[in-house]
Amino acid sequence: MLVCVPLTHAGTTLDRVKRTGVLNDVLVESYPPFGFIDAGNQLAGFDVDVAKAFAARLGVTLKLATPGWETIMSGRWQGRWDICICSMSPTEERAKVLSLPVQYYSSPAVLTVHKNEQHIKTVADLSGKRVGVGMGSSYENYVNKTLVIPGAAPIAYPFRDVVAIPGDETVNFRNLALGPGVRLDAIISDLATAKAAVESSHALKIVGPVIYAEPNVVATEKGDTDWDHTVARIFNAMKTDGTLAKISQKWFGQDITHDGP
Amino acid sequence: MALDVRIPAREDAASRLDEGAQTQGAVPGQTRDYFRQKVWLTWAVLCALLGAAFYALHLDFGYVGQKLPFLLGIRLSPDGFIQGAVLTVFVTGCSMIFALMVAFLTALGRLSRNPVAFAIATFYASLFRGTPLMVQVLIIYLALPQVGVVLGGLTSGLIALSLNYGAYLAETIRSGLMAVPAGQREAAMALGLPRWVAAWKIIAPQALRLIIPPAGALFVSMLKDSSLVSLMGLWELNFLAQSYARSSFHYMEMLLAAALIYWGLSIVFEVVQLRLERRFGKGVAARGAHATGPRKA
Repeated sequence: MLVCVPLTHAGTTLDRVKRTGVLNDVLVESYPPFGFIDAGNQLAGFDVDVAKAFAARLGVTLKLATPGWETIMSGRWQGRWDICICSMSPTEERAKVLSLPVQYYSSPAVLTVHKNEQHIKTVADLSGKRVGVGMGSSYENYVNKTLVIPGAAPIAYPFRDVVAIPGDETVNFRNLALGPGVRLDAIISDLATAKAAVESSHALKIVGPVIYAEPNVVATEKGDTDWDHTVARIFNAMKTDGTLAKISQKWFGQDITHDGP
Repeated sequence: MALDVRIPAREDAASRLDEGAQTQGAVPGQTRDYFRQKVWLTWAVLCALLGAAFYALHLDFGYVGQKLPFLLGIRLSPDGFIQGAVLTVFVTGCSMIFALMVAFLTALGRLSRNPVAFAIATFYASLFRGTPLMVQVLIIYLALPQVGVVLGGLTSGLIALSLNYGAYLAETIRSGLMAVPAGQREAAMALGLPRWVAAWKIIAPQALRLIIPPAGALFVSMLKDSSLVSLMGLWELNFLAQSYARSSFHYMEMLLAAALIYWGLSIVFEVVQLRLERRFGKGVAARGAHATGPRKA
């Protein structure tokens, strides 16, 4: 179908959601346990449950789409989608193309290695090593020493000459499980995805202290402040009344939705 | 119908599985049966070897069985749309029809004496053959919205596939049309046939015979290139296989299952191509049977 839309102006997204009664949410379907396709062929995970709760608060029908991470985070959605509840970390570059109205969980970045790895104990041991990171992820920025989280303290980089291997994160975990240094020496990722990978492969371990605390935010298309206020208000209400905490308990056995590392 | 104006009988360029023996000259029926048996036997041995290789990988066949209905597209996706192999076939089928229309027009433009039509046709064919399909898919999906044209993932995919394959197919069609000897058209004119009758009844059937084998190869290739629409989040065969693999860490199972389904679909395409070839090759085969003496290649 061919739809011509005028340039975005204040109120566009909110108006559209109200008018159609449908919330178009995008997420990544290959990022377990935040987003994946379950045994019944349905999209499931923490991000999906949060989206369902948000749509219920808004009183609209939820429609999910999975257009791919690069497509989502390059912004300029042109009205295709209303919101991204998709485990996005705020970075300076993303803030330029998307609006990031509210944080909804915080999960630290951690270091994962093969269980037989002897030498890598913290990120300081990564010099000269090959480190797998999600393509276009904040971890890729971290390894390349270009990560700036708006409003957070500058991040330390206690390593040099790390070879970043960007790719699909789950493919990276599989490569790391082949053995220490076979294809990868280590992976830097979110704690929850690392835990899920460690549980399913039995060949990996998480080492060292938390690398840096990482907030995860909701993203919307730039230019609709009314919509951003509505999103922030509803998410803060869901934090206060424990809705998000309950979803977090279901997926992680702990509450990752309150601020702080 | 071909006007018999004494063209030397040509070797059929297409290798036809069943008639492989026949194309080597007039062969008795017995020899042909022998050839056919050996072909099937070799196929069976190769299939068994492939099967043994899969078995040696220690795959989790239970998991494959669990995901197979979704991969095949027997079940609908969560938002009630077709998915899996059914979506793959749908995307390929639609793109094929559009590509044929685009290619036909382009081939005519390429053969036209009108400089503007010629320029447009050559420009389009050069542009779409000279740039990667993946880039075309993403440009149509991501760049067009910047000028106010917001297309859905499916529409973008169909447009990209049709335009890309249309450019290749145009050359195939052009070569088929050019390969029909000028004498055929001249003979039709001499008989006083109207232009469109000459085109439809004399030129087209002879050109089609030459167009079908390479066009069939293009469509088999398109079937697999249709997996590029997964870039836009369409839940087709490749997308599902990759997503299931990533969600469950069952990589080999899902990739091999998808590969086998693609192969099965390709075989269907090949059989259709074979039948069409036979239908449009009839006149030549019949002429070949009566030909005496050594054939010219």
